Amino acid sequence: MPKVYITGVGFITSIGNDAASVSESLRELRHGMELYPPFQKPEVPVKVAAPIRDFQTDSIDQEDWVFPARYRIKRELLRGMAPHGVYAYCAMQQAIEDAKLTEAEVSNPDTGLYAASAGSPFLLGYHLERMRKMGVMRCPPLGIVASISGTVNFNLVSHFKIRGASTGFSSACASSAHALAFAHDEIALGRQKRMFVIGAEDGNVESILPFAGMRALSLQNDPSIASRPFDSARDGFVGTGGATVLVMESEDEVARRGAKVYGEMAGWGQASDGYNVAISHPDGDGLRTAIENALRLSEVAPEEVDYVNAHATSTPIGDISEAKALRTIFKGNPSRPAISSTKALTGHGLSLAGAMEAGFCALAMKEGFIPGSAHISNLDPACAGLNIIRATLPQRPNVVISNSSGFGGANVCLVFKAG
Amino acid sequence: MAQSVNTQSGVTLKPFTAEDDANLREALKRCSAATYEAAAQFRKTGNTEHLPAIVLGIIERYVEPDLRAKLKDADDDLRIIEDLGIDSLTMMEIVILVEDVLQMSINNEELRHLRTVGNVKAFIESKVRGLPLPKPTKFIPIEQIVSIMPIQPPFLFLGEASVNAHGANAKYKVSGQEFFLQGHFKDNPVLPASIMLEALGQLAVLFLLEGQVGEAGKTVDHRTIFFTSCEGVRCHRVCRPGDVLSLSIKPKRLKSPLATFEGQIRVGQEKAAIAEEITLTFAYVEEVAQPPTPQVAPAEQAVALNPAKSAVNA
Repeated sequence: MPKVYITGVGFITSIGNDAASVSESLRELRHGMELYPPFQKPEVPVKVAAPIRDFQTDSIDQEDWVFPARYRIKRELLRGMAPHGVYAYCAMQQAIEDAKLTEAEVSNPDTGLYAASAGSPFLLGYHLERMRKMGVMRCPPLGIVASISGTVNFNLVSHFKIRGASTGFSSACASSAHALAFAHDEIALGRQKRMFVIGAEDGNVESILPFAGMRALSLQNDPSIASRPFDSARDGFVGTGGATVLVMESEDEVARRGAKVYGEMAGWGQASDGYNVAISHPDGDGLRTAIENALRLSEVAPEEVDYVNAHATSTPIGDISEAKALRTIFKGNPSRPAISSTKALTGHGLSLAGAMEAGFCALAMKEGFIPGSAHISNLDPACAGLNIIRATLPQRPNVVISNSSGFGGANVCLVFKAG
Repeated sequence: MAQSVNTQSGVTLKPFTAEDDANLREALKRCSAATYEAAAQFRKTGNTEHLPAIVLGIIERYVEPDLRAKLKDADDDLRIIEDLGIDSLTMMEIVILVEDVLQMSINNEELRHLRTVGNVKAFIESKVRGLPLPKPTKFIPIEQIVSIMPIQPPFLFLGEASVNAHGANAKYKVSGQEFFLQGHFKDNPVLPASIMLEALGQLAVLFLLEGQVGEAGKTVDHRTIFFTSCEGVRCHRVCRPGDVLSLSIKPKRLKSPLATFEGQIRVGQEKAAIAEEITLTFAYVEEVAQPPTPQVAPAEQAVALNPAKSAVNA
């Protein structure tokens, strides 16, 4: 099977709006959380979020939105976009530049695009309210395109004139990991030479606060410790939004273009818990099987894994479930692999998480570091026997796995090798 | 409490509250101040004279900034899609804003035929005043023109055309291959002014055959249309190969056996030629037994020299 490489990345995240600043934040364990102004109301118990800087997308009128001057977006495109559509567009521009792709390489039948987003509850809510108040014929013509799940692939596929495979993925917090996984297969099976993979979410009141109802969000009012995966005092996740784009290419295409690579995506695996709609299997059964499948299909032995970017969102149940799965796979080896959850820095980006964290793994492999797991004061004893690193390690991981778990008990594990 | 009142124009006027005004300002926040003023006046008085300013102001807001100059100098023939780059979705945004501002609803079927700024203005005015809607503009591709017209290549000077009750428009690109350019002039091809006039005459023929002319149920007989006279012809610009002529004619009088039109030709925004009056004779199919006699010399009858082939009106 042809090998699949990551050749470009683009980031709009709470810890930086380009690869250089994201890399710096990861190394220095600089988090992106703040007391988010729209949450500072007596009736909202959640106070902290990890918003995107340098973008203002809180108006329902896209023409009011502000974004960095280097990105020029025409009204014609903007009117069909959700806030995370703009993030995705900007990250896509970065990824194309980073991979040094020409227009012809972006638009041809051998280049596809997979995207994951949950849509924009913010815009959908506004459009439905307008429909109820003003009648069905007063809905903005592109309201649907801007708000439903799939908005990112609709907009980017048409704007960038993508002519290969395209679709959207919807498995909640495993969505963009699934998108990467199937994009890998498109290339490995020879169906496509190149794939763009995008994870994106809004990250505002409407996309984050509904999780309060299920008691999944941290109620901390200190941004610096609100998200602390694996800590015994963790109390839920911190919401974020943003976008990450990865460019994946076949080895032939990498050779033809002389492209620089971040690393190889060696394979992946998935398995479901079949247990509960919103609670991870207490023993991490599905995730364990997903990791086993991923390692077997990638022909990687557990002992070879240098770094695990855990899904660990900082919820009491989810983190322990994952810790159990990891302990089973790595047989409780206290020294390797290094394990961290970068969600301590970024917060949890839902559909975005898989692609964002795969992007972090790409940076780690290319630049030679392993990001630490921040904000741990007292490691939860349930995580004993795992090498959860609290500081960034200045060494290149050769084999990396990245986990994602979504509602319904969907688990995905991605395997990367340094190029 | 304020009551609804009926104005002279037939518009039912609802009271215009401070809340309505705030909503109107919000709705028109990206339009010119003049657009808001016109809309506020219309909502207060029902005076339909404000409608063109409102509709043009709303269209302008959706036109890309670099194309807005076109709209400033536009006449009613300016095409919304081709000239202003507005796609059908943007057209829907325009309609929704117009509906909001004028407090009316417009259905999709009614919109299908709105192609020019003039169409839109006439449509909105009819809607607001509760008048019957103007008949839709017919768009006639070149293949169809050939089947309709008694005049045929190489002496047909109409490309794509549109015809409605108020007149007709067409394009003609001077290809450089026209036979008469070989000698007009030596090594210096210039479209003859007489051909420009001929093209306008041909567009008038198309209008007679495809427009809604004359009494109901009667059809103009293509074999009866001939050139009669022409007045007030002025040429402003030389036309050469590569130029795209925008032809337009408007009827001034239409009563068998005579039809009089005014016509003009533009190349881009430049005026190329005008004719104050072009008069043709015509008759209806029922009267075909006694076709009118041409009143001009044969050399000037180019408009209907080849009355063959028409399958549409025969």
